[in-house]
Amino acid sequence: MSTSGQATYFDGVTSARHDVTVTLGASALQIIASDGQVLAEWSYAELESIPSPQGLLRIGRIDNPVLARLDVRDAKLAAAIDDLSVPIDRSGRTERRGRRRVVFWSLAATVSLLLVAIYGVPEIASRLTPIVPYAAEIRLGAAVDAQVRSILDKSGAGSRFVCGSAEAEQAGRAAFDKMFARLEQAAGQPIPLRIMVVRNDDANAVTLPGGIVYVFNGLIEKAENPDEVAGVIAHELGHVAHRDGTRTVLQHGAMSLLFGLLLGDFVGGGAVIIAAKAILQTSYSRGVEAAADDYAVDLMKTLGADPRALGTILSRIAGSSHGSLKLLLDHPETKDRVNAINARAGAAPTGAILTPSEWADVRRICSGSKG
Amino acid sequence: MSTLDAAVPTAQPSLAARFRLPTGPIQFLGFDKDYWRLWIRGSILLAFTLGIYRFWLTTDTRRFLWSNTEVLGEPLEYTGTARELLIGFLIAVAILIPFYAFVFLLALTQGLVGQLAGVIGFLLATVLGHYAIYRARRYRLSRTVFRGVRFHQTGSAWLYAIMAVLWWTVIILTLGLAYPIALSRLERFKMRNTWLGNLQGRFEGSAAGLFVRGLFMWLLVVGPLIGSLVAFILALDPALLRELVSTNDDDALTRLVEAHPGVAFASAFGIGALIWAMVAGILLYPVFQAMVLRWWSSGLRFGDMAASSSLRTGEVYATYLRYIGWSIVFSTIATFALLVVGSAVAALLWATGVLEKEWFSSVGEIAVAILGVVTYVAFALGYAAIYQVKVRLGLWRALANSTGLSNAATLETISSVGAPASPVGEGLADALNVGGF
Repeated sequence: MSTSGQATYFDGVTSARHDVTVTLGASALQIIASDGQVLAEWSYAELESIPSPQGLLRIGRIDNPVLARLDVRDAKLAAAIDDLSVPIDRSGRTERRGRRRVVFWSLAATVSLLLVAIYGVPEIASRLTPIVPYAAEIRLGAAVDAQVRSILDKSGAGSRFVCGSAEAEQAGRAAFDKMFARLEQAAGQPIPLRIMVVRNDDANAVTLPGGIVYVFNGLIEKAENPDEVAGVIAHELGHVAHRDGTRTVLQHGAMSLLFGLLLGDFVGGGAVIIAAKAILQTSYSRGVEAAADDYAVDLMKTLGADPRALGTILSRIAGSSHGSLKLLLDHPETKDRVNAINARAGAAPTGAILTPSEWADVRRICSGSKG
Repeated sequence: MSTLDAAVPTAQPSLAARFRLPTGPIQFLGFDKDYWRLWIRGSILLAFTLGIYRFWLTTDTRRFLWSNTEVLGEPLEYTGTARELLIGFLIAVAILIPFYAFVFLLALTQGLVGQLAGVIGFLLATVLGHYAIYRARRYRLSRTVFRGVRFHQTGSAWLYAIMAVLWWTVIILTLGLAYPIALSRLERFKMRNTWLGNLQGRFEGSAAGLFVRGLFMWLLVVGPLIGSLVAFILALDPALLRELVSTNDDDALTRLVEAHPGVAFASAFGIGALIWAMVAGILLYPVFQAMVLRWWSSGLRFGDMAASSSLRTGEVYATYLRYIGWSIVFSTIATFALLVVGSAVAALLWATGVLEKEWFSSVGEIAVAILGVVTYVAFALGYAAIYQVKVRLGLWRALANSTGLSNAATLETISSVGAPASPVGEGLADALNVGGF
């Protein structure tokens, strides 16, 4: 083992280069200048190796604010120092052990984060939702309303987006309002509801926080009797009663915080985060939709209307737009839903919610001045 | 040893000499394979830890790049740690949560403020982003050590943020023509506040020089777009335009085009110009990048020491071509692997009769969605790793090896000044997605 060798020394005070001789003592190494002056004495226990290119051992002192460096290019001397000093870790074993801990705890953090996202967030959102004041919910609905409208208004109808104002449409509007008044009264919600039939060809309906319900024209066209439309509206009123819109906003907020802010975005992870959120949201929405179905069945029964109509129109819509992943993801197996609806409906006596002539009016609610 | 001629280190044979690399004052000595290993392992861990591993990967990457860059025979040193980055990030999150809450509350406010909440939030985030960029630079510099002497950065990050936002506004308003002057002003500010020990840096790149060199490229890419815009304005009839705004029906546009063949021509010209701008922009980007890098590197000064760059445009092109080539190979192999695995799984499911089961349709849907996410992550991380090795490392190496230093003896007599700076800036930059190196 060599006990001395040549090296380069930087004292951490100036950038000057010192060509030095390093002598290895029992518990410390001595750095000696070419004129024989001892520049520094470093004990082996305080040494640390600093990342450097192959063939160079760069040594500093652990936690020392003075950045003095000893560059050893003499392979024998480097090996000797490595043997004598415990913290010097040229094989990288200590580094690897530390890294394994990092990986383990990162994975643990990921698992706990996913568990919170799957089980914690929906639970927290459900507990918080009833505490949110209705005033706040109405304000929230008003804030998102404009945005939602611009998304739904695909044909760019602008001010004519809402049906029922043209002369040819007013009878339909009256009949529709009569049907809705019965539903609203039976539902008995603490906030005033606002319902609008809008020009959109999708067979769908949307509920916003604060009791705003949009029924699409496409749904009325797909329906074969008024009870089917009433059933869908009753389902939407279920969302209002369960305050699902507010809960979704709370969930989205919490998820954005969990995934977006805490995890950041490294290599375009944004899309992954959106996808992950979508998947988790799907699993929430399945339970939510089933609960709204139950509510709809009960409401229709209270009114003496056909509680099975919701199931009928659901099957029709699913049948005509099969292969649409969106619908499949948003709603639990349509067949399961229909079965659940029928089971809950039982053999209740049914009567139509509107007269045939009123129903005929409703079907013309969006007929006025078509562009 | 102050008698030493700094440009030719003689005390110990430098690594550059031992590996018989072309000798310039700056050498990059790292190997591709080590960087590959770093990024492949890092990408896998990033995926499994949903990105938490990024603090360690960033630190490893910088350590690799810094410690393999030899200036006058002495490698640079990066003394930052992943733990610091993690703490900086957590502090940044603590600062940003109230900020996001504030913007959210603004959005819920009725009236004009509520409608403008998005714009206000974007503006605040932009200023904050530039503030973070400047502070992140302070952190990185104060963790960069050369010959036992630390770099550091002075100057107000808020001042820089306001300057940067104003200059970028000017750049956008002038369709990029102000880019040289903006870049030189911002770079001047940054370099004036950059110190190696007690040695102050500065930037002497001339905005006019960059403007003249870039003007032809600008005319080539943006010129046709402006031409089409002018043609469009000339073809328009103010009376008809008023009618168009007031009626707002579907046929108005058709009538407009029928009445004015010039508008149709201008629109076609505009679409052509847009396609041209995109194609030319992509093809010329390496030329542009090489030009800016050369200009930037040649403008750097520390005391009497001046840098100069002989970076070749062809080298930057080759870097991107290698990236594209590797990406194509990766895409082919990955797609093939995906097809093989996919059909094997499908065959297995079919053979075992699981496909027929009632429960399969809902479980299958979720499985397909998860598989989609996994595939997306794998592809994104693969491209990112290739980009890192081929473009980032390639450009770093090309720039280092092509940079010359004059009066390098200045670097021999620097005294240590400055303390390590806080990593909060890096954390903010990370949380706001504006992180640089």
